[in-house]
Amino acid sequence: MTQQALDRTRAADRDPATGGGPAGRDAATEAELSPEAFGDRARLIEREIQRVIVGQDALVRQTLICLLANGHALLEGVPGLGKTMLVRTIAEVLDCTFNRIQFTPDLMPADIVGTNVLVEEGGQRIFRFQPGPVFANLLLADEINRATPKTQSALLEAMQEQQVSVARERHLLSPPFFVLATQNPLEMEGTYPLPEAQLDRFLFKLWVPFPSEADLVTILDRTTGSTTAHAQAVATAAEIVAMQRLARSVPIAQHVTAYAVAVLAATHPDGPRAPQLVREYVRYGGSPRGAQALVLAGKINALLDGRLNVATDDIRAVALPALRHRVIRNFEGEAEGITSDAIVRAVLDAVAPPAVD
Amino acid sequence: MSPDHPMTDADPATPTDPTIVELRRGLRPFQRRLWLRRLVHDGTRIAAVAVAAGLALAGASRLWPLEWAPLAAAGLLMAALLALLVDAARRRPSLAQTAIALDTEQGLRDRLGSALALAGRQVDDGPDAQRYEELVRLQRQDALRSLAAADRRAFRPRVPRRALASTVLCAALIVPALILPNPQSAILAAREDQRAAAEQQARRLEQTADRLGTGRESPDPRAEVADDLRRLAKSLRDAPEDLDEQLARLGSMEDALRSRLEPGAEQRAASISSLSRSLSRLATGSDSNAAGDPEQAAEDLAEMAAELDEMTDAERAELARSLAELEPVARQAGPEARGALHDAATALAAGDTESAREALDKLGEALQRGQRQVDLNRDLARAANDVQDARRALAGGEPSRTGQNGQPGQPGQPGSNGQPGQPGQPGSSGQPGQPGSSGQPGQPGSSGQPGQPGQGGQPGQGGQPGQPGQGSQPGQGSQPDQGSQPGQGSQPGQGQGQGQGSLGGGGSSARFLGSGTGQGTARGPTSGNRQFGTGELDPIYADFERLGRPGDPSYIAGSGGDGQIDPGRGQGAGSDSDGIVPYTDVYQDFADFAITTLDRSYVPVDVKDYVRDYFSTLGGGR
Repeated sequence: MTQQALDRTRAADRDPATGGGPAGRDAATEAELSPEAFGDRARLIEREIQRVIVGQDALVRQTLICLLANGHALLEGVPGLGKTMLVRTIAEVLDCTFNRIQFTPDLMPADIVGTNVLVEEGGQRIFRFQPGPVFANLLLADEINRATPKTQSALLEAMQEQQVSVARERHLLSPPFFVLATQNPLEMEGTYPLPEAQLDRFLFKLWVPFPSEADLVTILDRTTGSTTAHAQAVATAAEIVAMQRLARSVPIAQHVTAYAVAVLAATHPDGPRAPQLVREYVRYGGSPRGAQALVLAGKINALLDGRLNVATDDIRAVALPALRHRVIRNFEGEAEGITSDAIVRAVLDAVAPPAVD
Repeated sequence: MSPDHPMTDADPATPTDPTIVELRRGLRPFQRRLWLRRLVHDGTRIAAVAVAAGLALAGASRLWPLEWAPLAAAGLLMAALLALLVDAARRRPSLAQTAIALDTEQGLRDRLGSALALAGRQVDDGPDAQRYEELVRLQRQDALRSLAAADRRAFRPRVPRRALASTVLCAALIVPALILPNPQSAILAAREDQRAAAEQQARRLEQTADRLGTGRESPDPRAEVADDLRRLAKSLRDAPEDLDEQLARLGSMEDALRSRLEPGAEQRAASISSLSRSLSRLATGSDSNAAGDPEQAAEDLAEMAAELDEMTDAERAELARSLAELEPVARQAGPEARGALHDAATALAAGDTESAREALDKLGEALQRGQRQVDLNRDLARAANDVQDARRALAGGEPSRTGQNGQPGQPGQPGSNGQPGQPGQPGSSGQPGQPGSSGQPGQPGSSGQPGQPGQGGQPGQGGQPGQPGQGSQPGQGSQPDQGSQPGQGSQPGQGQGQGQGSLGGGGSSARFLGSGTGQGTARGPTSGNRQFGTGELDPIYADFERLGRPGDPSYIAGSGGDGQIDPGRGQGAGSDSDGIVPYTDVYQDFADFAITTLDRSYVPVDVKDYVRDYFSTLGGGR
């Protein structure tokens, strides 16, 4: 796709006559993107995000993968590491609608998906759907584990079906729809851990690491001075959709797919190639969504690497964020302090990529 | 690649993209290099295993006498080569494997493997099919660029270090194991010699069997003996390593043969020969039957019987008297001959020509039967000697000899009453040469000299053993030994005299013994029967040197007696003593007693052999 085509796509997306409406989205998604344009656009997005987010390159890359895979990400990290800042920056860079929901125990599902309100129109009182904050391209579900399971589950349909059903009426969400949820691993009192079914909806679970000292110095310089760094919008929603379509079209060889399946199968304690760590400390392994996440994320990782084929290295590169929340430890695993990351790494060690000696 | 990750080359039915054709062509050199790497890798391991096994084999062959060690070593080598060939066939990489290996080695991130795998994938028609095809095409071009940039020297052969070190170490240890003298080689050589000796003796037994059995059928004892000998030869070939068992069988066979021998057969043969000669002389008036052939004598007797009616009474009386004079000789020729001779003489004296004719016919038949019995005895004796020789050769582990010793000379027969000695018989032929160079002729026996008057017969000088085959020429098994020169004991005794018969001078290999029958005082050459040699008969008088001396385990010292010597006094008239008896008359009694004693009492094995050898040596001269 040429730059002119990209520009046309972007203009159409911003056109008030089409932007935001279904017709505009269709026009945007019909546009085709070349692999080179994909790479260029992705690098542009990354670079722009990194103007605000110091360090955290891997986190930025994995979040971008998640976005381009049309998935959702669960960010976990202690407070103050920039989770919300990251999401806000992405929203700025992508030039698309953004909403933030601060999850609290008294948050109700209607507060998320919206509700029908009685309005007076033409002398008549009618119910009209008032969309909730879920109707946005980017949704920040901050501290999602502080809401009740009932409210958490309100996100299930939106995340999986990209639609909301209210009063027997379906309301489609505008693509791209990207949920970035955060949770704090420290303050567990009064929280409602996400059930496995909901965890499985997230393509990635990302750890937000503590920045290095050098990065911290840079952060202090940027945030305590008189000037504040701002990111520019370098991609539109339509471009993101086009990139998502291209990513799904990336071919993958059968032996690479088989490798992804082998990795997933090894997370099951009764799998033939499961390592000892899995056999001892895992209650349930990854679901088929895990394999889908591996392949889809692997495709994007390959595209970001400038390749049109998925390598086993791509599968291995995305295995940790794609599987760490899908591996359910048993009591012994939790008691022994065996982390999900350790288990996934053991799986990767046990399932070597296909090689010929 | 792992079977869990299946990958095959592109489906040939798929329309082939020129890019994929070029990709495959570009992979061919790498495919060969990868194959070579695998061969080097696996070959080194195979070599390590083979050399280690060879080292183990070399070590084992130094600890145990492994006759199959060379065969096993060759088998190891062949197995290693076969394994390498099988491995080369099995480990030839496919293009897909080559692509994956090149991806891994060159860090191509599965570009090549994916390109080949995607080339064979069928795409469903869908909205994104065209876009998918385009991406696949682009990916293929990307793979081709990667292949072009790949290092052409990829897949350098890698030698597994452990296997190589093991190979070098084992090879270094094998060299001294092969070079240094192997203590087991002597054992193996001995076994080989034993097998060769067994084979040689088996052939000897078969030759003996052929000689005995040819033209004869059961109930001829020689046919049965021939069958037994063939079975023995087969047993020798089948189990040459079981020496004790084979020696026992040979000993048993020899004993069985010896038990069939008639002790006085040779004396009887001499008497038959002498009688035949005399009868022919009586019948024809000449020495037409100098050899003493019984058949010739029978014919002569038949002619004489036919002429009885034409004789005058005086002639018949003279003939009866002559026949009566032959009775002492006929007594030794057998009771049947003696009776027939006596009947003939009596009938002639009585003028009964008819009875005399019948008696003379019976006499001829008796002589022929006696001669056949003698021939049978000689054949069995020769067979027994052959078996004994085979047993000795096996027991001693003698190497193959090219020639056989000449037969020991027969002891001379006592001259009887100073009769002129009969011409000595020619020496028997030497034994057929064994495969190898032909043997040297046996030495002729010493001349049989006429008996000394009144002196005990001296033993004839033993024949010299045949010399082993000369030179290094391979033996021609068909050439008989040349030990066939007749003995020289053919000079008739001279003179007359009384006295005991002396031992005739048997030739070294004389089969027939000279015997004097003359009367009167002998004036024979004084040199007769004086030649003592070192022939085979010497052991008769040889001291027992092997055992029975202080220091031998079986020696028990005796103590001196306390008796007094009381020398006798007085004079008496001398008379001819019968104390001197030809040993052939008593040989069998002594031999039977000795064998029986050996069987009944505890005697060391070597002493048994010694005793058996002693009697066997004597028995061969009977």
